[in-house]
Amino acid sequence: MRERSVVVWVVLAAVLLAVLNLPASVSQRVKSVLREGLAPLQQAVTGVTRKLSETGRAIRGIGDMADENRLMAAELVYLRNEVRDLKPLEEENLELRRQLEFTRRSPRKLIACEVIARDISGWWHTIRLNRGTGDGVVADMAVVTLDGLVGKTIQVSSRTADVLLISDPSCRVSARIARTGSFGVVVGTGETGGGRVVCVMEFMNKNVPILEGDEVLTSGLGGVFPKGLLIGYVERVYRDEAGLFQRADVVPKADLGVLTYVFAVQEEGQEIDDYLRRQQLQEGGAR
Amino acid sequence: MTSLTMVFAMVCGAVLQAILPTWRWLGHANVPVLMGVVLYYAVTHPRGLLLGAAVVGGLLQDALGMIPLGYSSFCFCVVALLAARFKDMVFEHELVTHMFFGALASGLFTLLLYGLLAGSDVVVLRPRWGVLKVFGSVILGGVIVPFVFETMTALDRMLGNVESREL
Repeated sequence: MRERSVVVWVVLAAVLLAVLNLPASVSQRVKSVLREGLAPLQQAVTGVTRKLSETGRAIRGIGDMADENRLMAAELVYLRNEVRDLKPLEEENLELRRQLEFTRRSPRKLIACEVIARDISGWWHTIRLNRGTGDGVVADMAVVTLDGLVGKTIQVSSRTADVLLISDPSCRVSARIARTGSFGVVVGTGETGGGRVVCVMEFMNKNVPILEGDEVLTSGLGGVFPKGLLIGYVERVYRDEAGLFQRADVVPKADLGVLTYVFAVQEEGQEIDDYLRRQQLQEGGAR
Repeated sequence: MTSLTMVFAMVCGAVLQAILPTWRWLGHANVPVLMGVVLYYAVTHPRGLLLGAAVVGGLLQDALGMIPLGYSSFCFCVVALLAARFKDMVFEHELVTHMFFGALASGLFTLLLYGLLAGSDVVVLRPRWGVLKVFGSVILGGVIVPFVFETMTALDRMLGNVESREL
């Protein structure tokens, strides 16, 4: 009996050692197989829970419908005015581009993806998408919503992709302040959404004044995130008189806590294309 | 049949764990459904199935997240073997002991995994968050493990894996 027990322990130790020391390529393949096997189930369960939550929200919202209707009517008037104001600007912009003989760059391809799960371990801020290498998604692609940057793809299998959110402390994005052009690095704090600060912008030149409400965009440096994607807004600035830099709390524009559909950005190193902006305008108009 | 049930429970647990929400004040610790299933097999089944559950559960958890393959299996094995070692001393089929056992096992699992991940520089996490996560795991383990035990007991009975009197 004792000998059998020793054999069990030895076999267990051997299996664990083998698994722990698997080459990265083999380990990645094993992970891919398991992920793809479970992806349809995850998608189905996520779909059902989403429907249930929508139904619950709808039932809760019936009482507030009249108020909501009034608010939406007011918002519609405001948005119509805004669209009217934007039209001449858009025309002027197009005319200037023609005059300067700007070569129209081909629009960046966006791959629409559905969020099917979040990180199972709770150690990272990641989401899983229902698109993979078979759909053109590869590692280190920027992921956006119509509101702004969400994160970057990290581990990709043929039908799924994991996205590291910008709220994760291991996610670093080279960024710049739109108003002043000063550069810095946006790092996650480990918090998620709900209007809380989830990122910090570090290593900014302390001689350039940064204001609360300043827009933070990707700088395009580093090769992963295309230039000009909106990250969020400065909420609070910290100046260290003794140090070389200043830092600021940044609230991302995209709500990272309630992501349902996102886009993987296929091309790199270009300014944000018109497509995203048109989508943002259309969505604003529809609202 | 028992092994099939175990694999089925593990897959369901993994999918459930992936969609259940996390809370900031609990350090974004995940609801430890897989830990509950492993613990169930550790205290109610023979050692072979215990180790199988620990390895399968660990592989699923690692494959569905960013943890290097094998880390969770190792931690599950340690926790499950400890649970099996002490089950005769402290374990009774009562809600309170399930809660206590679940909280302890879940906290220990998170602590072990944090040690492994931080030690190999895989995760960037401030110690404050690590402590909060362990605390969150203890709370969630205490809450969720009794439910997992009840569900697994019902499933085993339904499938005829064990007689009612055994549990």
